[in-house]
Amino acid sequence: MKDILTIIFRLTVACLLAGLVMGVVFISTNKAKKHNVHINEKKVMFSLLGYSSKNPAPDNVAMHEVYRYLVGEDEDLAMGYLLPLQDGSFSFVTINLAGAFVAQTAVAIPAEKVFEAGERTLAIAAAIGAGKTIRYADQTIVVTTGGQRTAYLLPGRFPGFKTFIGAMLALDQHFTILGLEIMEHEEDPGLGGEIVQAYFKKQFKGKSLETIKKLEVVKTPLPDEYLKALEADKFGTLGAAEVASIQEQYKDNDIYALTGATISSRSVTNGVKAMVKKFAYRLEILDRVLVEQHIAVPF
Amino acid sequence: MATDKTNLQLVINGILNENPIFRLVLSMCPAVGISTTVMNGFMLGIAVLFVQVCSSCTIALFKNVIHPRIRIPTYTLTIATWVTVIDMVLAAYLPEAYAKMGIFIKLIVAFAIITMRLEMFASKESINASFWDGIGMGLGFMFGMMALGLVRELLGMGTILGYDVLGFKPLLFFVLPLAGFFCVGLMMAFFNYIEIVYKRTKRA
Repeated sequence: MKDILTIIFRLTVACLLAGLVMGVVFISTNKAKKHNVHINEKKVMFSLLGYSSKNPAPDNVAMHEVYRYLVGEDEDLAMGYLLPLQDGSFSFVTINLAGAFVAQTAVAIPAEKVFEAGERTLAIAAAIGAGKTIRYADQTIVVTTGGQRTAYLLPGRFPGFKTFIGAMLALDQHFTILGLEIMEHEEDPGLGGEIVQAYFKKQFKGKSLETIKKLEVVKTPLPDEYLKALEADKFGTLGAAEVASIQEQYKDNDIYALTGATISSRSVTNGVKAMVKKFAYRLEILDRVLVEQHIAVPF
Repeated sequence: MATDKTNLQLVINGILNENPIFRLVLSMCPAVGISTTVMNGFMLGIAVLFVQVCSSCTIALFKNVIHPRIRIPTYTLTIATWVTVIDMVLAAYLPEAYAKMGIFIKLIVAFAIITMRLEMFASKESINASFWDGIGMGLGFMFGMMALGLVRELLGMGTILGYDVLGFKPLLFFVLPLAGFFCVGLMMAFFNYIEIVYKRTKRA
């Protein structure tokens, strides 16, 4: 009996000690980790748009964050968008699931704080009043050059072969894919992990909205010339004009699967397909509402 | 029962006499599944080295306080804590390394080699001896993984560390986990054979 008590006591102490150590390390490293993730995201966003340290973005390129929330009131669900307005303030526009405008409320939040999920939730809850619950859905970044929309950046998450795959998709103003970047995944190294390689990611580049809607994965091997074009950056064997012409040729083809990783390839393809289709549908509704209600957004 | 080996002997013991993969036959999961390339093997080896050393030292420090009937949960708790700590620290301060190694670190919790070593060595020996034994085991694991990775990458993809050496892919079969079993078994036989020949020539 005494033995059992000793065991319980020591095990509890060990668990508490372990928890304490992990908690302390978490608190001291969390900020730095978030900072790194943020910097990496920014770098990825710029590189997807075609800018890099050698080719920096011009000054008239601006990024506008649009946050999508699910608004629940009793039994009804609606879509809420936190938008930046032309004058620098923020507004929360609620649209019901049928696509009709419901309400617009001004949200008091300073521009630096809008990046933090906790601050946003508090500010929005304060603005729309009691009785409504909000849940964060996702974020879109509208990129404008000189005030005209040039690109959309969609961070997204979808199920993969193992757990989730976090991706960043860049679309141009006609919803043609500018680029795909895999931000995080837990696929098998060497098999599903190859989704981060250029010869898989770059296959998505240049596909138009119509192609994306019907995109499938084929299990035939990647043609040699296509492979050379996709990896031209790494091996430098083809000139830019040749690469462009080969990519034009394969633009409307389906995605060639990775060897030994059909399910991962399908997960990414279906994930990208879903992201683009849903985004195009929702943006159409949002744009219509913005025009109808004369809401002045900077994009 | 203190070990009578010097620190250097402990390290060499971990690499040769008691190599985790080829002698102790522990942690076959990563040896079979993840040793597809040399770089994978190296990254995982480094991660296992860290976790092994830290866990060994912690258990050696607390060995008198751990109740013998709950020693396995305690080992698992220690390993899990260290893996989490290393994961968080890497993500915060070495993001480039974390981008490459991140997936592997989380897998280490389930490896048999670390728990077994804690049970067989760290819970009985001093902190100093446990430290060097941990280093030996980690290095032995790393070399074993890299040797396997070399064979599998070269024969499966024709590359070493990503550099195209052969120019063609001999047998893609070697990249699949099934080949891992074959490779580990054959290499074990090969190293045993070398040892027999070595002992024979030493005796002669």
